[in-house]
Amino acid sequence: MQDAVLAMLAKEPSHGYHLHARLRRSLGPLGESMNRGQIYVTLTRLERAGLVVGERSDGLPERPERKVYALTPAGQQRVAAWLAEVGWPKPDLAEFHLKLAAAAAARLADPVELVAAQRRELLRRLREAQRAALAEPAGSGAGLLLEGVTLRLQADLRWLDACERAWSKADDEVEGG
Amino acid sequence: MGSLALVARLVLADVRRHKVQAAMLLLAVTVATATMALGLSLRDVSDGLYEQTRAATAGPDVVVLSGDKGPAVTSALTSLADAPEVVAHHGPYRIVYADLTTRDSTSSSVVSSSVVSSPVVVHGFAETPGAVNRPLVTSGYWVRPGGTVLERGFAAALGVRVGDDVTIAGRPYPVVGIAVTAATSIYPWAAQIGPGGGPSDSSGLAWMTRSDARTLASSHELPVTLAMDLKLRDPAATEAFRHAHRVPAVRINFHSWQFKATQDMVILRDSQPILVVGSWLLSFLAVTGVAALAVARAAEQTRRAGLLKAVGAGPGLIGTVLLAEYLALALAGDALGLAIARLALPAIASPTASRIGEAAGPTVATVITATILALVVAVLSTLRPTLRAMRTATVSALSAGAYQPRHRPWLTALSALLPTPLLLGLRLTARRPDRAVLQACSTATTVIAIVALLTRYVQPERGYGPDGSLALPNLRDEHDRRLMLAVAVLLIALAVVNTITLTWTTAMEAQANMAIARTLGATPGQISAGLSIAQLLPGLPGAVLGVPLGLGLLSIFAAPNWTVPPYSWLYGAALATLLATAALTALPARLAARRPVAQALSAETA
Amino acid sequence: MNVSNAAVRVRGLVKDHGRGQGRVRAVDEVDLEVPQGQMLAVMGPSGCGKSTLLHLLGGLERPTDGEVWVAGRRIDMLSERALARMRRRSVGFVFQAFHLVEELSAAENVELPALLAGRSRRQARRRASLLLERVGLAARARHLPSQLSGGQRQRVAVARALVNDPLVVLADEPTGNLDTAATLDVLKIFEELRSPGQSFVIVTHDERVAATADRLVSMRDGMFVDDTWLAGSHPRGLGGLIGLEG
Repeated sequence: MQDAVLAMLAKEPSHGYHLHARLRRSLGPLGESMNRGQIYVTLTRLERAGLVVGERSDGLPERPERKVYALTPAGQQRVAAWLAEVGWPKPDLAEFHLKLAAAAAARLADPVELVAAQRRELLRRLREAQRAALAEPAGSGAGLLLEGVTLRLQADLRWLDACERAWSKADDEVEGG
Repeated sequence: MGSLALVARLVLADVRRHKVQAAMLLLAVTVATATMALGLSLRDVSDGLYEQTRAATAGPDVVVLSGDKGPAVTSALTSLADAPEVVAHHGPYRIVYADLTTRDSTSSSVVSSSVVSSPVVVHGFAETPGAVNRPLVTSGYWVRPGGTVLERGFAAALGVRVGDDVTIAGRPYPVVGIAVTAATSIYPWAAQIGPGGGPSDSSGLAWMTRSDARTLASSHELPVTLAMDLKLRDPAATEAFRHAHRVPAVRINFHSWQFKATQDMVILRDSQPILVVGSWLLSFLAVTGVAALAVARAAEQTRRAGLLKAVGAGPGLIGTVLLAEYLALALAGDALGLAIARLALPAIASPTASRIGEAAGPTVATVITATILALVVAVLSTLRPTLRAMRTATVSALSAGAYQPRHRPWLTALSALLPTPLLLGLRLTARRPDRAVLQACSTATTVIAIVALLTRYVQPERGYGPDGSLALPNLRDEHDRRLMLAVAVLLIALAVVNTITLTWTTAMEAQANMAIARTLGATPGQISAGLSIAQLLPGLPGAVLGVPLGLGLLSIFAAPNWTVPPYSWLYGAALATLLATAALTALPARLAARRPVAQALSAETA
Repeated sequence: MNVSNAAVRVRGLVKDHGRGQGRVRAVDEVDLEVPQGQMLAVMGPSGCGKSTLLHLLGGLERPTDGEVWVAGRRIDMLSERALARMRRRSVGFVFQAFHLVEELSAAENVELPALLAGRSRRQARRRASLLLERVGLAARARHLPSQLSGGQRQRVAVARALVNDPLVVLADEPTGNLDTAATLDVLKIFEELRSPGQSFVIVTHDERVAATADRLVSMRDGMFVDDTWLAGSHPRGLGGLIGLEG
């Protein structure tokens, strides 16, 4: 979040509400839940870290929404470093995998049931994303983001299918043996 | 050699896989070549039979006929016998013009045939035949006092056999023998010349002893003429002899053996066009039918051509492989057709029993012509798919189906004029104009055959009895009618096969479309109606055009004063043809429309 | 639920393919009710019987056992003719392979069911051009299917399925032959052109297509193994999908 806000300031100094609007535009329907307060909290943190400076407009009280924010040299360096970075968020599959293993081992729950429940949950998410994607006009930036989200969910669902097959087979073996 | 073996293997595999198509091509080519070979062989066979009869009966080179009798005529004839070119002669002998009536024979127990009368010419002959004109007795004995010998063609037409009695000019004579001669034209033209040199009626020939003939003539004052048979030193020089021996004083006709041979063809005058034109029409139907099947296989052929190209075969080999199957079948059909022609020739080339001998087989020229016909049928019916297969690029040939659908706005426009069920039928199934043309041609050919048949039946009949009585049927008309019926039946049979083939191939091709239409709510009834209509619509112009085409074709070959059947008959026949087409298409259409939809759809996807 | 309220209802549905030793049970004792207006997705691995189920619902195949009701009428006993009439009014099909009539233009394909249903030429034409416009193909109405891309063909097929405004649209892998963009197009059209009260049954193996439905049933070996209600807004909101809040 911090990096994204910094990068948006790289083009030109900007008001907080302006930044918020630009972020919302890029995220489309996904950004609806993001409120302006979150932006000001972030900007305040960045200012404290010396990455941005806020200049107050003349004759107005010192409040974050009145300030125009600009990058400091340190902020510019941080933006450059962020762009060069190739890190990638790690989907947390290990946790669910361990959940299934633990549930099976302790006979706390049926792993197949867990998978099914998880699947239903992911399908509902996928439905949200897909419907949002369908509502987007062709070629919108938000559409592209939604495409990523849906593909991600699709991949997860396929993995859940694999889990289901594997745990059903394990069940069968237990029952058979 | 390797490629030849490859071609042979592929051809065999193809024939085995497409049995129906192979059978149809074989059948169609057989029928067409047999008919054509028959038509072309008639003259040769007729000539051959005359030749053999002439050889067996010591046939004269020239028969001198006089319309009169009397000393002047006798001496004129006798003087001809002394001419230097003449090496032998027979006569002069009497020709008595009389009537012959069969009698309810008690001796023959088979069928008591009804009483039949016919004009007859009685030749007065010696009891021991001379050097020239020795009629060949085929059953019984030669003439003896009180007994008569009938010419075989005449006897056959009368249904008289040795031992029967006949009445000639009111007097009964036992038939002691049956014989053939090359000295007269075949039955019913034995008279050759009428009394007084005038025209003669259809009449048969009988022989009696000279004295019996004289008695017959004098007792009833019957017309008598004289004739003499001559053998020349040079049998070919009959024309020269005729020119050299004009006798101005008396009326004398010279009938050369060549003339008689030609006369034999008169009875076959119409048979030849019936057979030859029939063979064209049959070939035409063969082309349409086989083409319909070949088009249906076009996709497969294109794929095969692509496959061969992909493995490096040249265009020559590809062409050979694609055509070889058809050519091989056509040649087989040709051979079969020629064999059938060979067997049928004696019956067809000699409708009377007046000639003897073995009918020679088709000549080399006829064999070549029939073979060319067979090959043309094979090539014409498969040329388009073959060319297309050879031209299609390798990759697209291997991947895509060869058939590229084309939008035919005119068809859509046409269908917009029709009620909805017809519209649907047209839009869904009648997407192949080439096939529509084939159907139209097939229908037109059928109608042409029916028009010819009807025309044949409305011609006034003149029998061989006295004054054209039909008690003795007109052999020529009957022969032609039988031939035409046979050809028409063959034509109609092929047309029926064609119609079923066309409907079935259309149905197979439209299968995907029909399945789609069923998912959209088309009933099986609508689908089969659509299929039938797709065949019927092109049949309509075919049937309408068939009538004038048939009449036009007949006007080329028929006698100048032929009778046109009533138009109500002709168009009734056209209508009946269409109704028959509708009935014929109904079954394959119904079968095709009943196929399960889901199956057809998944076949489409696969 | 009231019977008359169900667009499609099946009871104890069984379908066997083949005979004797080679007999395979494609659909095994299935019960299903699709209320009017519901969009139902059927998922499952290939060969699980989902396409057969669809064919049974549309009367393209006859069940071995059980009942099929469409629009409140039992159809498994109907004659072929009556089935055809039922399909005209009540069912629209969309197939993976498009199944357009290759020799007819887009507009002619779309008006075909309207003509079959007995509408006048003019009505059929008007309805077809309206639908083609709504699927964004007005400019290509006179094109042959072979001149259209896969996505465009499927849009024509959807227009055709909807031309008689059927009670239920049965779609068999409607996006199976399409890329992502074309898939989205088709799904959008389903969404936009769906009239109130119209039900969809979509057989698919694509989770993203299934996720557009209100309800998802999963099929294995001819039986339903899961029935999930997907509709209803998600408590976490869309932002939750990318971890924006918190």
